[in-house]
Amino acid sequence: MHGTELKGWGFLSPTLVVLGFVGIFPFVYVLYLSLFYYNIFSLRGMVYVGINNFRKLMNDPKFMSALSKGLLFVMVTCGVEITLGLAIALLLSKKFVGRGVLRTIMTLPLAMAPVAIGSMWIVITRPAVGPVSYWLGKLGISYDISESALQAFFTTVIMDVWHWTPFVILAFLAGLTSLPREPMEAARVDGAGPWQTFRHVIFPLMRPILVTIVFIRIMDTFRIYDEVWALTSGGPGTATKYVSIHLVRMVLARQEYGYGASMSVFLLYLTIVMCWVLLNLITRVKREVYAE
Amino acid sequence: MGRKIVVLFVAVAVLCMTIPAYATTDEWWKKAAAPYKGITLKGIGQSTPPSEVVRDVIAPEFEKLTGIKIDFEVQPWGVQYEKVIRDMDTGAGIYDFAYIEQDGIYGFLQKDWLVDMTKIWQEHPELTDPDLDLADFTKFIEYYKDPATGHIYGLPFEAFLKMYVYRTDLFEDPEIMRAFKSEYGWDLRPAINWEEYEQIAKFFTEWGKKKGIELYGHTAQAKTGYQALPYEMVESIWPTWGIYNWGINLNNWRTSVKNGGTLNSDLAKEAFRWYIDMLQYAPPGVKTYTWDEEAASLAAGKVAQGLTYCEFLGALLAVPEKSKIVGKFAVTMPPSSPQSMNEAVRGIGYLGYYDGASYSILHAAKNPLPAALFIQFIVRKDFAIEYARRASRVVRKSTFASPMLKELDQQQGGYFTAFQKYEFLFAGAAPLPMHLVIIDIYMDWISKAVAGEVSPDDALDSLAEEIDSTMIEMGY
Amino acid sequence: MQNRRAKLIFIYIAFIGMAVAVLFPLYWTLLVSTTTKIALFEKPIPYITGFVVENYSRPFLTDLYGGYLLNSLIIASGNAALVLALAIPAAYALCRFKIRGREHIFFWLITNRMAPPASFIIPLYMIFSGSVFRGIRLMDTHLGMILVYCIFNLPFAIWLLKGMIDAIPVELDEAAVVDGCSYLGILWKIIIPVAKPSIAVTAVLIWLFSWNEMLFASVLTGTRANTITCGVLKFVTVVGIDWGEMAAVSIVCLIPAAILVGVAQKHIVAGLSFGAVKE
Repeated sequence: MHGTELKGWGFLSPTLVVLGFVGIFPFVYVLYLSLFYYNIFSLRGMVYVGINNFRKLMNDPKFMSALSKGLLFVMVTCGVEITLGLAIALLLSKKFVGRGVLRTIMTLPLAMAPVAIGSMWIVITRPAVGPVSYWLGKLGISYDISESALQAFFTTVIMDVWHWTPFVILAFLAGLTSLPREPMEAARVDGAGPWQTFRHVIFPLMRPILVTIVFIRIMDTFRIYDEVWALTSGGPGTATKYVSIHLVRMVLARQEYGYGASMSVFLLYLTIVMCWVLLNLITRVKREVYAE
Repeated sequence: MGRKIVVLFVAVAVLCMTIPAYATTDEWWKKAAAPYKGITLKGIGQSTPPSEVVRDVIAPEFEKLTGIKIDFEVQPWGVQYEKVIRDMDTGAGIYDFAYIEQDGIYGFLQKDWLVDMTKIWQEHPELTDPDLDLADFTKFIEYYKDPATGHIYGLPFEAFLKMYVYRTDLFEDPEIMRAFKSEYGWDLRPAINWEEYEQIAKFFTEWGKKKGIELYGHTAQAKTGYQALPYEMVESIWPTWGIYNWGINLNNWRTSVKNGGTLNSDLAKEAFRWYIDMLQYAPPGVKTYTWDEEAASLAAGKVAQGLTYCEFLGALLAVPEKSKIVGKFAVTMPPSSPQSMNEAVRGIGYLGYYDGASYSILHAAKNPLPAALFIQFIVRKDFAIEYARRASRVVRKSTFASPMLKELDQQQGGYFTAFQKYEFLFAGAAPLPMHLVIIDIYMDWISKAVAGEVSPDDALDSLAEEIDSTMIEMGY
Repeated sequence: MQNRRAKLIFIYIAFIGMAVAVLFPLYWTLLVSTTTKIALFEKPIPYITGFVVENYSRPFLTDLYGGYLLNSLIIASGNAALVLALAIPAAYALCRFKIRGREHIFFWLITNRMAPPASFIIPLYMIFSGSVFRGIRLMDTHLGMILVYCIFNLPFAIWLLKGMIDAIPVELDEAAVVDGCSYLGILWKIIIPVAKPSIAVTAVLIWLFSWNEMLFASVLTGTRANTITCGVLKFVTVVGIDWGEMAAVSIVCLIPAAILVGVAQKHIVAGLSFGAVKE
């Protein structure tokens, strides 16, 4: 650690200027807008309403429904991705021929644009004509994401799982291969079976990585828009209209700038709280593990 | 010698008097545009064939002729709308001219976002196309006039009707006709009312199943979560049952029956339930259909009858590479209940949707005058037949007189004949300045009902309630 | 011996299963991009039956999608360059200098990355169109998009780089100071060369984000700066007739990104997990 504070600020300032312009200022304006009723087509123009927008938000069944659907989506998707990712990573942690090839394949979903992923999945799941629908139909299962809310929901889950589980697997693989050998040797010598080794040795050591990946996935899944919008436009009815989609539509289609701004503020607040809680969890877990 | 001079004089005079009868010459455009040479005009249109023609054919032609550059953007339906609104709301003046769809005109007029073109022509005769001939436009231009002053705020660029398309090869097939008559007791022909339509739909869907072919009796644009669905209800279904203007009472802007509207009346509910029920006769996947797929399902030969925006006739159904039903379809007026037909004929109702758009100058435009020139160039008489050919659009009466039209009429299922016959029964969207906001709310509840999240009756009750409270919130 | 055999079989089953699961949708998209319009309303055929070049040539050669591709390239590369130019000194500052409130700045930077993007649309639109500060015309420009993507990429890059720079021993710096080097010199001569691989990975990830972003691109651009993702969106919102072309555009959008990611794949995971997972 060296250097006077002033020089440090010097290096930091260009960043702060740019972020101030494109980051802070818009955010301040959003805060300002959230205190007004402002719909472009309204006859009343911009009307100061104080915190009424937030009160309305808390009592808005559509918003709460979008929020709960979004949170459900986060829980199911992250749950599947983490468990599946960990299981497969454990399985693949032994060296085998072709591991490099597999790793290359698994980085492909990460490279694809979310909107392209959504459009790709529409093509696959087109009712009657897409391969998935067609072959499920042959098996006697009627698969139509424009009809069934449940199927649409699970298709969005599977789509996100397809998109990110490879990443989760690679992350856990990297973690597993960098684990110290001694504890596992010791466990084997002590006669522990694979499940016990996992539960008492591997899992605790992997906790920091686990929590970090969970954090990242939760935050990203919560904000999902492009893929789901491309696939279902909010799903049959509003079945897959998760909270980020609801917000974008409120602002762009419904022209509710004031109400939309208050929704943005609320979601930002929610995000910050979640960030803070999870980050604290990560540091605490890190400290615990390395203290051992 | 004197006589020769007089003859010469008379000849020249006659020549001068007859010159305006010819189409506007290239010379005129060049001269009118001369003061603006080198300017770049920025415009935005929709990603549909006619606007693409503007971008690919008309704009380059205009540039070559006048030296005015055209920076023309095309965007899909919703995106284009949103961009225009934001531009006008912030007064940014990014675009000089824009595609203004008929149903959005009222909001734009109310907020004074468009430039009065009549005023431009009054103040700048040198920029007025001598061949503009406003009287030549069909009644569609009425939608772009300010009711108070009669001034024009946009020149119609495209217009078409949403009509009833049916498969002539199937309807005239002897085996099918026999089977139909024996089952339902009347001779198969295009339906006049919705009961007949339903019977025909049921028949063809069952016929498809029996014969093991992919044939259905109905199609729709029922994609939930997309605006096509509520539009089908408010444009085509409800009016033909007798519910007009979206169920809104235009005097007090209310929709629920208790406030004077008709949106959650028994008739509207019955129509809505019927619509949802009819989806069983459409191809599976009808709930992923937007207006494009509704037409595409017809073009793919999967459907025996259905409603479609006739913009798709020239662009899709009559195009050999894209359609399997070339020469096998015909167009006529949509089915309706006897009462609504009665009201339409008397002029207090309407049967179907008169869709279309204009190009208008935006109020914050940096170059309104050359934009006015370009817009006139887009809609000039001698080019109008091209829009009819490529995409079945007609805005000028003179287009009907064009020799090419008879041939097009045959290719496009008799559309132009039907257009002239039934135009008076069609109307554009209701005059709703807050159109864009409430279509989103309609979409919400109608989608929920179609998806089965709520019952149709409950959906309409909730919808009416929400619209009314939103109207109050907006100050109507 | 038996045990290991069984395990190996298991592993290969998982291997093949994973490869199929990942590749199937991509394969299908490729397939669709080679099919004719009418055929796409029929039953699905799982193998390639002829190649419809129009699906590729029309959007990119006849239509404007080639230009979109170029725009994406300019914006993504420009943004990567700008972000690195800003983030490297910033990360250096946060590591090596006694700046008060470091943790708070850091936290705020992270929330920028995590915030729902939709929150920023309207204010940014208003600023860019010049209705807030007259004279600013960033709408539909490459520079505008490059600046906008900084909202997410700059914090991300700083976080990544901070982790990597923290790993560089301070002694190297101190040796340079003894030699009479200025702070700028240390940054240029010591930090950057040592952190080069990390910087490269950060650049790839930033580039990837800008290349794949859609929401801001569709709202804030028009004709001149439309990106390839806006192009895909065009197909999605008017879906139904051009499946083949949509698939073709998606594939072309994927190719450059896939190449870059493939090159950087060893470090991708470390990058995407904010340095928490070291490989």
